[in-house]
Amino acid sequence: MTPGQRRATGVRTLAVLGLAWLAVLVLAPLVGSTAVSPAAAFEPGTTASTIVWQLRLPRVLLALLAGGALAVSGMGFQTLFRNELAEPYTLGIAGGAALGAVLALHLTARSSLDPGLFGFTVVAAASFAGALGATALVVGLALRRRGVETATLLLAGIAVSFSCSALILFIQYLSDSTQTFRMVRWMMGGLAVVGFREVLWVAPWVLAGAGLLLVLRWDLNLLLTGEELAASRGVDLGRLRLLILGASSLMVGALVAVTGPIGFVGLMVPHMLRRWAGSDHLYLTPACLLGGGVFLALCDLVARTVMAPAELPVGVLTALLGGPFFLWLLLSRRSR
Amino acid sequence: MTARPAPGADGPQGTDAHATRGPRDLLSARGISWRPAERTVVGPLDLAVQRGEALAVVGPNGAGKTSLLRLLTGLLTPDTGTLAFDGLAFDRFGRKELARQIAYVPQLRPIRVPLAVEEVVLLGRYPHLRPLQVAPAAGDFAAVDEALRVVGIGHLRGRPVDELSGGERQAVYIAAALAQEAEVLVLDEPTTHLDPRHQRDIAALIPRLRAEVGRTVVFASHDLNFASMTASRIVALRDGRILGSGTPPELLTPETLSELFEAPFEVVRDGEHPVILLRMGPDLESTPAPTPPGTPPEDRTP
Repeated sequence: MTPGQRRATGVRTLAVLGLAWLAVLVLAPLVGSTAVSPAAAFEPGTTASTIVWQLRLPRVLLALLAGGALAVSGMGFQTLFRNELAEPYTLGIAGGAALGAVLALHLTARSSLDPGLFGFTVVAAASFAGALGATALVVGLALRRRGVETATLLLAGIAVSFSCSALILFIQYLSDSTQTFRMVRWMMGGLAVVGFREVLWVAPWVLAGAGLLLVLRWDLNLLLTGEELAASRGVDLGRLRLLILGASSLMVGALVAVTGPIGFVGLMVPHMLRRWAGSDHLYLTPACLLGGGVFLALCDLVARTVMAPAELPVGVLTALLGGPFFLWLLLSRRSR
Repeated sequence: MTARPAPGADGPQGTDAHATRGPRDLLSARGISWRPAERTVVGPLDLAVQRGEALAVVGPNGAGKTSLLRLLTGLLTPDTGTLAFDGLAFDRFGRKELARQIAYVPQLRPIRVPLAVEEVVLLGRYPHLRPLQVAPAAGDFAAVDEALRVVGIGHLRGRPVDELSGGERQAVYIAAALAQEAEVLVLDEPTTHLDPRHQRDIAALIPRLRAEVGRTVVFASHDLNFASMTASRIVALRDGRILGSGTPPELLTPETLSELFEAPFEVVRDGEHPVILLRMGPDLESTPAPTPPGTPPEDRTP
């Protein structure tokens, strides 16, 4: 394939994903435990229009943003660590977020009413703080040993993840069964929201993070050829690592705070899209933003209809799909 | 930003230029050393690279060849001493600015690179790109075309790098470094892991990089005959120090080589380019035969 053809493939993939994104945005709110006709959605004051505008549309938008953010940050981590198995949670951000949330659930459950902080639940605020704290801890640990070395980052991330898991288990052990159920439910991830508050909170982080990675596309492409070569061309590796980490962590941290950890989207989607859009980050970054969103919105559509009127947590569904994909990835890599 | 001199304008072209040192030094290292974790890997040493020469660094494993090259490209910062390009200290250059003067081709590694040849060569233009530049400019594509032509891999331009042979991949990375349009090209073990035909291709390429596109070339090599054929000057490195420096016939003597590598060598004269034989086999002694006094090296044929 010549570079011209690759360019054409990249543009075509983006066009297809863009159309799919719009189609999901328009059609998915009409589908659910009860289908709503477009005409009914625009009749003001009806239950149907309230469901579409206050429940389903924000939920679909949140899924589109969340999936996109997870895929883009997974792409960034995979390129940064030159490792196909890296994902947004590799450096312990999910562990930190979960620890924050679990701690808040444990402490606020007694008063039964969540007082809220700047319009957000205490759980979401604590989770965001936990995510940023875990990232800061990992980067801080890595910085202590001359520069930010990739291997040190990975090891520090794993250590922080395990510590968070252990603390979560400890807090769960101290909690009663109602609290424990809420904690487990939070960690399954979910996109149920009412109104656009969460969407408006997540959107700027996601757009800024994805925009930054798009600006860094030459650096990311250069990383594909190896860190040493990138450094010899004038890339400041330490600064680049911090920028990729910062962009990904803020995006994912802001997101996980309101949706809980949704697994495997960040691992799966960049891989699928590399095959279609190629590895040039000029196309891959927007492709991940669009494709990840479409993937998660469709997963969520299945999750809220397959057992209707009950809902399957979307995190369960993505992980159910993710496990076999992971195995397939391992096996197909072996045979190549 | 810096105008490139006309090809071959200032190059000694095979002359023995190492004796003089002065304002024509393109790259100079004074008193540099690199001591990670209190262990001296390189130096302290002085080294001057003249415009247009092809300088080979030879030495045993662990002599510090790669570290020296990484110091000369600015990838490592020396613990003592100063490095200068064309009389200007390295720390006066920004990272990208230095990359526009000195290009580096690290030793070939078996990593998967999911890009096409032309894309990899285009990445050589990185130090010339502005961060918010939407697309590379016409000049960038022209530099890529020229690099592919000089290296002779224009027919590979659309191929995925992962499908190429080791020799072809090495050529791709050299082309990418050429597209960088830096005056100095630093190559680490350009022929390691390559079969004889590809070693020959790279050996033919190095003189062309000097003559055709006016590059100054510095490379490290374990292949003494490759160094003999392609270098205008050779530096012998051992334990991070420079043991000697000279033209191939001056430096590639059995005495220097056996001292450098602690192994017995024989040197067969071939005009300007000595041919070196390493004596091997269980029937041979492990020490070189002493040279009879007064015997010129030419007579030491097997």
